[in-house]
Amino acid sequence: MMRKWLRWMPAVAVPAVIAAGVLSGSLPASAGDPLPEKTPQQVLLMMAQHGEKSLSGTLEQSSEIGLPELPKTGPAAASAETAWLELLTGPHTARVYLDGPGKARVQVMDRMAERNAVRNGDELWFYNSKDNTAAHAQLPADAATRHDNRPGTVPTPEDVADKFLAKLDASTEVTVGPDVQVAGRAAYNLVLTPASEVTLVESVAIAVDGASGLPLGVEVKARGQAEPAFSVAFTALTLETPDSGIFNFTPPPGATVEEIPLPAHHEKAAVAPSDAAAAKAAKRPTVTGTGWESVLEFPAGAVALPGQTPPQTEVPDPAAANPLRPDPSVAGGTSSGAAALLEQAAVAVPGGRLVSTSLVNVLILDDGRILAGSVPLERLQAAATQR
Amino acid sequence: MLCALAAIPVLIAVAVRLSSAVPPGRGPAFLDRITQNGLFVGVTAMLVSVPLFLPLTVGVVAGDTVAGEAGLGTLRYLLVAPAGRVRLLLVKYAGAVAFAVAAPLVVALVGAAIGAALFPVGPVTLLSGDSIGADEAMLRLLLIAAYLAVSLMGLSAIGLFMSTLTDVPVGAMASTVVLAVVSQVLDALPQLEWLHPWLFSHYWLDFADLLRQPVAWDSFLTNSLLQGGYVAVFGALAYGRFITKDVLS
Repeated sequence: MMRKWLRWMPAVAVPAVIAAGVLSGSLPASAGDPLPEKTPQQVLLMMAQHGEKSLSGTLEQSSEIGLPELPKTGPAAASAETAWLELLTGPHTARVYLDGPGKARVQVMDRMAERNAVRNGDELWFYNSKDNTAAHAQLPADAATRHDNRPGTVPTPEDVADKFLAKLDASTEVTVGPDVQVAGRAAYNLVLTPASEVTLVESVAIAVDGASGLPLGVEVKARGQAEPAFSVAFTALTLETPDSGIFNFTPPPGATVEEIPLPAHHEKAAVAPSDAAAAKAAKRPTVTGTGWESVLEFPAGAVALPGQTPPQTEVPDPAAANPLRPDPSVAGGTSSGAAALLEQAAVAVPGGRLVSTSLVNVLILDDGRILAGSVPLERLQAAATQR
Repeated sequence: MLCALAAIPVLIAVAVRLSSAVPPGRGPAFLDRITQNGLFVGVTAMLVSVPLFLPLTVGVVAGDTVAGEAGLGTLRYLLVAPAGRVRLLLVKYAGAVAFAVAAPLVVALVGAAIGAALFPVGPVTLLSGDSIGADEAMLRLLLIAAYLAVSLMGLSAIGLFMSTLTDVPVGAMASTVVLAVVSQVLDALPQLEWLHPWLFSHYWLDFADLLRQPVAWDSFLTNSLLQGGYVAVFGALAYGRFITKDVLS
């Protein structure tokens, strides 16, 4: 007869084995050969020259910038306005497929839902499974090739790397940190540290694949915050051409399809979802300060904040341009998720309201001007009083 | 109990059939797709039954395994036969696993059948927006059922262990079901984020990854590993308890 305690051995041994397995699995696999030493310039050059045009991988993105999390359920969750804002809060996983310059597919994997952006040549599709809607845009036929065929003046990657470094050097210290492991690949860690003491950004680290030069991840750290304020990195990556069927997209039957008209000479705005950036560029913000301490100032009414009806130009009433003025229509229950978020995130400060995140501060003045910068509030206020 | 599970898809299908069109984005996911494609009844029914009905029934079956015999007073007669306690435990666990496999399968198949009877069946739209034929969709449906069966393995092992602790089957069932609920509650608390990957219910709802194109197998793999861990730990605990137990009834 075995003694009693012996019979409990498996119950002790199994958790121990599992714990050992987990521990050994979570240790960094640093056994591989260290990458050859390189200067920041060489790493930059490698990144600029990387020839990887085809890949499929899984991206993991997370943000800890101090914004309140948006509701993931309920009627406000699916609104299109909050979709991009939602990317700034909480973690996300996305699968990325690239094949050359003309074919790309990004799948943002939500729980029980998925958002897709597919580009196949000059066809551009967006699809959201949550509300079964699709949007289609036709890119100009030469959009894919235009960048490659620019005449003569294309600077070589070496030039770009040199110029980039020279430009950065005054305001930023560029170093190559210890190698990192990203998606199971050894990568150089290019660290940009702002020389300025004022800015909220502590450092920006770019992981560059040691074998191919492909950027594998970006991590932005904010001052006084342990976890990265923003990070995006591959968790899995294969540098093979994905199955071409992935890039064929036809909207499913029953989906609501919306056609997005594109301005003929503005294909760039459609390639990246930077409509907001393009709109801002059109309104010409003024910049004060240099480098990391730059403060952008948008004149009153230049930026139509979500949930705000565009101010009518013939009514020069500053109060009408103030996005945070309690607008009757907003108060009437039609407030969108973005406006609600803004209401929730903004705090009153002398002269206006402040939306503070760990990376960027946005000061919305009572006269409708908006100042934004990666600097503390005092800098924004100083910039506001300068003019 | 399988009949009770089979009633869920029937209920959903009839309710959707009788009511007007469901606006997209309301109610459980996929509910609005049912009217276009009957196969989604199976998916929706599985989605609805994952948080409570499946753990409930599996907990009842797994909690009943040993404690039920003890409660009826038949356990000692079973052990009189020269079969050995380990073998009895293994057979009992196999029975619980068989139910864990059958339960989601019944929900899926009854859902697909009632859906095909009440609604048109055609190409199925995946989460990625791609469409696949009905036969491949059936395959995906079975895959989801398999995923859920794997998901319930860990709970079955917990139920088996609970069942060896007590002679009162209701106690074992209740504690198993309560554990399943507690695990899901913990999973919903963002403050316990570090704990989430270790909860046996954490990947239960990730079966949606099987509805993407191409199929994302990561969650299937992680889930299988996790459930395997739970089976190993609680299987060993159940072994230790059952081998050393004084069987009086």
